[in-house]
Amino acid sequence: MTPFNLKIITPAKVFFDDKSANVIVRTTVGDVGILAHHEAYIAALPTGKMRVMDKDGKYRAAAVATGTIRVEEGGEDVVILAQSCEWKEKIDIPRAEKSKKEAEKLMEDSSLSDMERDLAEQKYKRAINRLSVANDE
Amino acid sequence: MATGNMKTIKRRIKSVGSTMQITKAMELVASSKLRRAKQKSIDARPYFDAQFRMLTELSGAGNVETVFTQKRLHKEDEDIKRLHIVIAGDRGLAGGYNSSVFKLVAAEKADKKLTKIIAIGKKSVEYFEKRGYDIAVKRIGLENMSAGHYSEISNAAIKLFVDGEVDEVKLFYTKFVSSMVQETTSIPLLPLSGENIKKHMGTDASAELKPPKAITYDPTPEAVFNRIIPNFLLSIIQCAISESFTSEQCARRVAMESASDNAEEMIENLSLLYNRARQEKITNEINEIVGGANAL
Repeated sequence: MTPFNLKIITPAKVFFDDKSANVIVRTTVGDVGILAHHEAYIAALPTGKMRVMDKDGKYRAAAVATGTIRVEEGGEDVVILAQSCEWKEKIDIPRAEKSKKEAEKLMEDSSLSDMERDLAEQKYKRAINRLSVANDE
Repeated sequence: MATGNMKTIKRRIKSVGSTMQITKAMELVASSKLRRAKQKSIDARPYFDAQFRMLTELSGAGNVETVFTQKRLHKEDEDIKRLHIVIAGDRGLAGGYNSSVFKLVAAEKADKKLTKIIAIGKKSVEYFEKRGYDIAVKRIGLENMSAGHYSEISNAAIKLFVDGEVDEVKLFYTKFVSSMVQETTSIPLLPLSGENIKKHMGTDASAELKPPKAITYDPTPEAVFNRIIPNFLLSIIQCAISESFTSEQCARRVAMESASDNAEEMIENLSLLYNRARQEKITNEINEIVGGANAL
């Protein structure tokens, strides 16, 4: 398969900057697979999972939190911007469990304002996403 | 007389000395925090640059109307309800760092009754509370902010704008240019316009600003924009907070450095005075003894 340049950038660091032949991301409308020479494309990514094919043709899974995917004109360069991104094997499961519990407790609190509830739900989603990516086969 | 004078001088030397110890310690703390903050700002730069670039291009493509781009034109200039997001430090003793941000806000001459504030940093909260502004959100503790805090701030701003509570959102912060230069800056955030972004991106952005010819938005341009723009605002706020924090440490380091230098100089001058007084006293004593011996 023809490789293209894939860049995954988060506020903490440049997470991935290498050749890849295929990346599969979850957009707001469903899973989308990008191959080389894709048309110019842009979509928003909710919190979800992503799979990146590395140079050896193996897929690596990662958990992504809110971002954007963008294919530049010509289909040679693909950029993914995300608030956070973690490889499956690097996910800290106890921490994710802990933040899931915290978020659950927060959401039960009925005195929350809409905004606080929203934040708690986001936190819950991120934790669930991490866990599901980490426990995925 | 000389003895009394010597005592006061000695006391002053001691007090300046202990002040110097404090300023030296603060300088060290600020430098180590600065190093970490600077690294963080640098690590984050590719992300923010990419974010800026993408939005500049897309807003250059134009024609996409969203809730975030609409201007409320029907209003007179004085009636505009403003939201100011003001980022300052949690602590003082950082030279002009805090006051110059507030000066920039004051220069807006916005009507207090029509202005809402999102105050970030303890000094900012104190400043606007004291002046009786309507504070929508306050957040202290710049050092330990998490993703949740950033989105709380940006969501609050977006909500106020979308609900029509405010017509304009502006961000005030201190840009970290280099260790020597920090600039207080304001960026109009909403309503979003390509022009505004371009202006604040500097030269390299204008070169990049060619709208893509044909781009597929999945599912629709509006849907994509409605998700990307909040992300973008979140990033800008995150970026501004981290840059402000870096600037604060830098300003504090410089202020404390010059304070230590001043203290050193003062001690030097005072020691000189002290020694002179001491010598005077000895000379007087010798004079007295010699005078006494001569009298015998």
